[in-house]
Amino acid sequence: MYALETEGLRKVYPHFTLGPLSFSVETGQIAGLIGRNGAGKSTTLKALMGLIASEGTVRVFGRNFSEEEHTAKELMGYVGGGFRFYPDRSLAAIAKAVAGFYPHWNGETFRRCAEEYALVPAKKVRELSEGMKIKFALALALSHGAKLLILDEPTSGLDPLSREEFCDTLLALKRQDVTVLFSTHITSDLMRVADKILYLSDGTLLADEPIGELTARYRVNVFASSEAAAEARAIGVKKVKNGFEGLVMVPSDGREATLDEIMIHLECAKKEDV
Amino acid sequence: MKALIKKEFTLCLHPMAIVFLSFAALVFVPNYPYEVIFFFSGLSVFFITLAARENGDATFTCSLPVKKRDVPLARILVAVMFQCALLLLTAGCVAIKQTFFSEEMRINLAGNSANLAFCGFGALLLGIFNAAFFPLHYRDPNKVGSPFLVSTAVQFVCIGGLVAVRHLPFYAPLTLPDPLNCGMKLAVLLGGLALYAGMTVFAAWLSMKRFEKVDL
Repeated sequence: MYALETEGLRKVYPHFTLGPLSFSVETGQIAGLIGRNGAGKSTTLKALMGLIASEGTVRVFGRNFSEEEHTAKELMGYVGGGFRFYPDRSLAAIAKAVAGFYPHWNGETFRRCAEEYALVPAKKVRELSEGMKIKFALALALSHGAKLLILDEPTSGLDPLSREEFCDTLLALKRQDVTVLFSTHITSDLMRVADKILYLSDGTLLADEPIGELTARYRVNVFASSEAAAEARAIGVKKVKNGFEGLVMVPSDGREATLDEIMIHLECAKKEDV
Repeated sequence: MKALIKKEFTLCLHPMAIVFLSFAALVFVPNYPYEVIFFFSGLSVFFITLAARENGDATFTCSLPVKKRDVPLARILVAVMFQCALLLLTAGCVAIKQTFFSEEMRINLAGNSANLAFCGFGALLLGIFNAAFFPLHYRDPNKVGSPFLVSTAVQFVCIGGLVAVRHLPFYAPLTLPDPLNCGMKLAVLLGGLALYAGMTVFAAWLSMKRFEKVDL
């Protein structure tokens, strides 16, 4: 079953158009949304949450979002770039206000999460570090039993240890069949936890596939000249300190490509096409 | 809706909104333009909205299980609660003044006398504020100052008009102490309340419609 499905998701701004995007995330999957700055990652996540007016269909566990917004949102938890809300309110006050919106709110789960994440309910939001803000947002989402988490760059601004803890938390949630869609620039986090990758470039989906398949398709090779790269049909060739680097398709020779390298070279190739 | 209104009170309420309710007692000040009491009500809505914007309230609330169009409705309902409380407190203060104060004290030379008709005009001023402020604010929730400036400008023009007509002969019956010309004053009160309700419903309808199209 799909936790999230979109069909023809589209948002038009005067100087940017997102989509139309059609993709899905299976229940219990962790999906990573990647792309350069301005590619449309945050716009996509906001459109999924109905925070921006967009075209197309979004289904959450089979429910049409626009028709069953209330029910769909009960199944979702959204964290938009850390918890930036109500900096002068205590965590307890916010949790109490949020609890009123969810019939299945579990105070015991919140208490347990707070304990596990070392959150002090009497503390104010502004007293939390970025990492703790993310944990607070996760604690809120888990306490109302969110089955689909939409996270917008949750690991940006976190130190490596906090990121590691965050990834551990996601993996623990996956074991509980919680589905996660999160955008990030830190592809090493995705390599660690993600099942699939949604790669956005200038508002269009360049890749929507399991992370293993995407990385297994390419190799990176360095060529002595651009002509040699062209002859090898390398993709997105760019000058590097020891020659010309480009992506080549397996089974060509080369070292394994990282997500970063795939992104960089595909973006280069796109620029060349333009 | 209940949870949304509760959230408005627990997370968004500005303390000045409660303080401004006490300004109903300004009707006891002799010879004062009592209409400004209703300007302070608009100021409390401004403070609540400003604090909500600074706290990222709209995005936070819209990520909760609510319909996007219900978000402005909850804010407007809270404003209506405060406005009704202000009207009731003002009416209470007016009743005390009309019952216990001397006739000389009950006539206001600076504007409308604090009587039944005045309460109707107060409701009208609150309705005018709602009709101007909320639809302008919910067209772009990042803007609080300019909708407030526009709505209070309209409100002050109306206040000026009400203060000015007080000196015209046809208006004289409405400035007399209660219970004189009670029928006419009651008609003004009911008319004011009806206009308040109509303008507030219009404000809510337009705000909800506009907010649905807003990109947060």
